[in-house]
Amino acid sequence: METLPKARTDEIIKKYGSLPGSLLSILEEIQISTKGKFLPEEALVRVGERTGIPLSRIYSVATFYSFFNLVPQGKHTIVVCRGTACHTRKSNELFNYLKDNLDFSHIKSSGSEKALMTTSDGEFTIRTVACFGQCALAPVVEVDGVIYGHMTVEKLKKLLKKISKEKAKK
Amino acid sequence: MQEKIAKIKIDNTDYKVPEGMTILEACRSLNIEIPALCYMKNISNVASCSLCLVEVSGARTLLRSCVTKVKDGMKIFTNTQRVRNARLTNMELLLASHPAECLTCDRNQDCDLRRMAYDMGVRDIRFAKVIEHKFDKDFTSPSIVRDPDKCVLCRRCVEVCANVQNVNAIEVVNRGKQSRVSTFFEEGLGKVDCVNCGQCIMVCPTGAIVEKDHTKDVWAALQDPEKIVLVEVAPAVRAALGEEFGMPAGTLVTGKIPTALRRLGFSKVFDTQFSADLTIMEEGSELIHRLKTGGKLPLITSCSPGWIKFAEHFFPEVFGNISTCKSPQQMFGAVAKTYYAEKMKIDPRKIVVVSVMPCTAKKFEARRPEFDSAFSYWKDKMELKDNEVFPDVDHVLTTRELGRMIKESGVNFTKLADSQFDDPLGVSTGAAVIFGATGGVMEAALRTAYEIISGETLPSVDFEAVRGFDGIKTAEVDIKGKKVKVAVAHTLSNAKVLLEEVAEGKSPYTFIEIMTCPGGCLGGGGQPIPTNDEIRQKRAEAIYKEDRNKKMRKSHDNPAVKTIYAEFLKEPLGHLSHELLHTEYTARKNLVK
Repeated sequence: METLPKARTDEIIKKYGSLPGSLLSILEEIQISTKGKFLPEEALVRVGERTGIPLSRIYSVATFYSFFNLVPQGKHTIVVCRGTACHTRKSNELFNYLKDNLDFSHIKSSGSEKALMTTSDGEFTIRTVACFGQCALAPVVEVDGVIYGHMTVEKLKKLLKKISKEKAKK
Repeated sequence: MQEKIAKIKIDNTDYKVPEGMTILEACRSLNIEIPALCYMKNISNVASCSLCLVEVSGARTLLRSCVTKVKDGMKIFTNTQRVRNARLTNMELLLASHPAECLTCDRNQDCDLRRMAYDMGVRDIRFAKVIEHKFDKDFTSPSIVRDPDKCVLCRRCVEVCANVQNVNAIEVVNRGKQSRVSTFFEEGLGKVDCVNCGQCIMVCPTGAIVEKDHTKDVWAALQDPEKIVLVEVAPAVRAALGEEFGMPAGTLVTGKIPTALRRLGFSKVFDTQFSADLTIMEEGSELIHRLKTGGKLPLITSCSPGWIKFAEHFFPEVFGNISTCKSPQQMFGAVAKTYYAEKMKIDPRKIVVVSVMPCTAKKFEARRPEFDSAFSYWKDKMELKDNEVFPDVDHVLTTRELGRMIKESGVNFTKLADSQFDDPLGVSTGAAVIFGATGGVMEAALRTAYEIISGETLPSVDFEAVRGFDGIKTAEVDIKGKKVKVAVAHTLSNAKVLLEEVAEGKSPYTFIEIMTCPGGCLGGGGQPIPTNDEIRQKRAEAIYKEDRNKKMRKSHDNPAVKTIYAEFLKEPLGHLSHELLHTEYTARKNLVK
């Protein structure tokens, strides 16, 4: 399964060069360019081959930053903040609502510390984050890059409905 | 260059030390002990453990002595209440998440963490124990087992793998309390480009990395009345095994080893040094053949299995330069189950070959599917079926594992009387002993090649230029007017320098020796812990002493080797040699050079 053509990977590597510090930019662009917004293993091997950076180190970087995904993401990404301020404003209820009401039945164990799950239809990925730096708006949920403050389960339901409707229109 | 001297005070005493030295190194040079779990001189200064804190006048916080350099006029305190409390707290935090399995831990006797905690006065851990089983053990490698739950994330293994061996098989992955040392996509050591050298084991301050234990298999074989269990012992073992029993580093226990092994129940005690002499006959002949016929040069030695796997991953382009000789361990297994079996009229299927090695990569080597030469030899003769295949070498014990077995057996090793290795596969020369030190295979080969090429007796068998612990040693040897340039490298990062020249076709050398581990086999991943520069030096001295004490010091003088050629192999590089003593190499997944 090739999710990013080798030539495209090479192009990205060439663009940033093999200077120390270019790895983050390379990985970022690979992820954005890949269907499913993740880092495919073959692409990482290619980065290693072309830059000389050991694969263990590339994997270390890819797993250190929560920005990077190693598995394909759903069409929509919902990030629930689990930082202290959001926690005191019951962000765990939001997370549990999503977990219980979206279809994750195919997941046996998440196997990942990032609490990252994708629905079986590939529509939604939910994950948590330690802090968005938007504590005044706690609890905070980010949907496809847009921050929604003072979130409640009711608001979240509406948001999900809206996304589903847009999908139906298409 | 004149180095600048800094006048400093440590614990109210005046000292003069070179400027630019770290506080930690300065203290250690002055016999002031400072605990440090992550720091390793010249290899690792990642400053992750925070145990080496000291107080410096004028500094706002306590400083890590491993990364703080001395300055003129500095006032350093290593033993104030503040320092002791801070170190203690950091140690207790480490211990709060460390499984308290010391009683059953492999590293029970030589754990840095346990010793340091005790020395620092930890008698109670104030923090709630968070001993949860978090990560699975990594059993994928035939040589090394990793238990990330016991890891304190000091990164020593990561640094040694990267900086000493240039292999980079492991890194810290993930973040926060999920951090662990692992491989690319957490496939496990056995699935990536790990070369099994075991240097990570040698530097691990806890029991998080250990060798794959074969002692139970060996005990089982020894208890089996149907089996004839032969043992071969590598040269470097005799210069180190004593350390497992508290004997000083550099104590030669050559005579005690056969006595101990017989007490454990081995049928015959043989010597890898016999097959080391055999290796020299084959490899020396290969060198001479290549010189005479214009074959591919430089020739590179092939005894060190870590280096061979390194080549298979990273340097397949030099395969043609690597000697086709198997390592002495494998040559031994192949001749034990053919020549010896035939001579003694033993069914080769009843023979179990156990090797004792200073090495963890040898465990992988013995498992290579191509090393079933004895089976191939007997297959037609005995009408064996494919599923009856048996390996040339059945089990590999490290020096440490043999130490453990001797302790289990109740044999009081230090009090044992000396005895001899058995005939005929226990006869060896001084040339074989020095296989245990970097430069030794080169020297042994030169002793033989010189005499065969020149037809003259060497005035002196000592080739001092290839001895010692310099990373890369070079020499020019004059063999009857023909100048032969040779090079010796130990550790794979040093080897890489020579290999890149070979790969580019620019190598000026005729013959290159590569050993994977620092100091050669005497510093191998299966040797007693601790192993450090001073201990390596003492083991090397022991090895060269053993060589000097040998009556015969040239492989081609070994009478048992002469006999095996007369009775069985016929001639070096002959048909049977090719079948039993030589091999070829397989390019492996090249994950990034």
